[in-house]
Amino acid sequence: MNEVATYPPDSLKDFQRLMLNAVRRPLTADESMQPKWNDGRPTQEVASAFIRPNDRMTAFDRLEVYNQQYWWRLTASLQEDFRGLHAVIGDEAFDRLVVAYLEEHPSRSWTLRNLGSQLPSFVEAHPEFVRPHFNLAIDVARMEWARVVAFDDPAWPELDASQLATRAAENKPLALQPYVQLLTVQHPVDKLMLRLKKRDQLMASNTASSAHRKHSRPMTAARLVRPLHLVVHRINFMLYYKRLAPEAMLLLRALQEGKSIEAACSLAFEKSKARPKQQAAKIQEWFSSWMQLGWFCECPPSDDATSA
Amino acid sequence: MSGSRFTNHQELGIGIGLRVPHYQHILEKKPVVDWFEIISENYMVDAGRPLHVLDQILEQYRVVQHGVSMYFGNADRPNREHLKKLKSLTKRTKTPWLSDHLCWGSVDGTYSHDLLPMPYTWEAVESTARNIKEVQDFLELPVAVENLSSYAEFTSSEMNEWQFLSEVVERADCGILLDVNNIYVSSQNHSFDPMDYLRGVPHHRVAQIHIAGHTRHATHILDTHDHPVCDPVWKLYAEAIQRCGMTATLLEWDDRIPSFEDVHREALKAERFIPQALEKAA
Repeated sequence: MNEVATYPPDSLKDFQRLMLNAVRRPLTADESMQPKWNDGRPTQEVASAFIRPNDRMTAFDRLEVYNQQYWWRLTASLQEDFRGLHAVIGDEAFDRLVVAYLEEHPSRSWTLRNLGSQLPSFVEAHPEFVRPHFNLAIDVARMEWARVVAFDDPAWPELDASQLATRAAENKPLALQPYVQLLTVQHPVDKLMLRLKKRDQLMASNTASSAHRKHSRPMTAARLVRPLHLVVHRINFMLYYKRLAPEAMLLLRALQEGKSIEAACSLAFEKSKARPKQQAAKIQEWFSSWMQLGWFCECPPSDDATSA
Repeated sequence: MSGSRFTNHQELGIGIGLRVPHYQHILEKKPVVDWFEIISENYMVDAGRPLHVLDQILEQYRVVQHGVSMYFGNADRPNREHLKKLKSLTKRTKTPWLSDHLCWGSVDGTYSHDLLPMPYTWEAVESTARNIKEVQDFLELPVAVENLSSYAEFTSSEMNEWQFLSEVVERADCGILLDVNNIYVSSQNHSFDPMDYLRGVPHHRVAQIHIAGHTRHATHILDTHDHPVCDPVWKLYAEAIQRCGMTATLLEWDDRIPSFEDVHREALKAERFIPQALEKAA
């Protein structure tokens, strides 16, 4: 955002740039507004240039209300969408992560739904904020953003068996529903999310402080020997996790990339030792299951199409 | 009760805000409620449970949309993608009118996700009215702008808040969503007489009234929507309907939300003030 050179600002736009700049400045450790402005002057001096005091509050105090509301609101929003990440890295690390993330990725969307869209990649690029839980934190952050997308991304008309057979016969690509999210992770994050849900339910039903302390310890999960392939999807407006064989994940990823059904199937079993008959049986089983789940759809229409 | 062009000539009574903790109760018990107000942004999604619930609510109830992110007061023009999504939702809900706040919240594409107060300047009057007109034209619906609770006043202001509101709505030729709790909160925070505010706005443009609770701190009041409506706000409400006539009234309760019955009971307290106020008005 452009820095405003004059105080008080000359135009409405400059006023709004100055105010948003002030509101977005990180709070101090005790959640107060920073006493010094960006250029070293007292913040009170800058605030007084555009905010009137009253008999109870200085200009600084009044600006601080908005500064605090900004951080509390946005932190709460990210905490809600990334409860698992918060549980893995703990309160203090999560707060530091949020500040750094929002400084680098301020919200560019009118909806808070999109606030955490860059958080998984930010965590990946900044291990210093999530040490010593880096690998688990990345997996959990990816899983939680996949949950956000799976919750309300569009559902286009599903393909039935005959439409699917026609696509296969014509060797055409197949589209996956936008809400079907494919994940390959190193930790059992599906089980971790279920544990988190149980823990939250327990904490909600048990107000005893000892129970709260016991269950607010950081959550952990051991690294798996082999990668775990997961689909995060929804059925009847509820989120589900489905574990997949490596070949099944390769197949779905190939379809998602626009490869034909034949090419995707070949790619999936490229390194497999399964015999052709076994491969065919597996493919039939998977396609049948995925079709019943409604994962295959007509290719999404253009942007101006109405919602499902 | 009189509908006007600012309500699309629809007459609504006392409603409450549709909130997630009440979904199950409403869908199962189907309580008698005159209308629900929805937060538009909660349903401006492509799919999923919120829209599924909304569709079921729409089968039974009248719904009016209320927004929190149009930011009429932005120096920038309204976001077209946002408007397209909003219009799509208005077609689904058939909302008779649509409201959002007299505030700003983003600049140069960076969002605060807050309802930030305006400097009451002539430049802001012009640009805010321009934005409201643009939204109203795009949506093809009456728009009502809501007065804000605020915690800061600006050195650049050239008029008071109700003069600013009046100038904006006259230029934009739009309605007002008069939030009497916000008038009270701001009157306490900025030391003005709330009755001056009520007297100062064009009453014929008031399409809807909001009532709500707030939280009092040592130095200021915060508009938290987490308490019942307090007596001074009820007094302002009675005064408002005496001046504006019977108006669609909505109780907002957004935090520490009690049971559906408790919220509805609190909203229906508004009925007590109506006969007396209308009698006085007559």
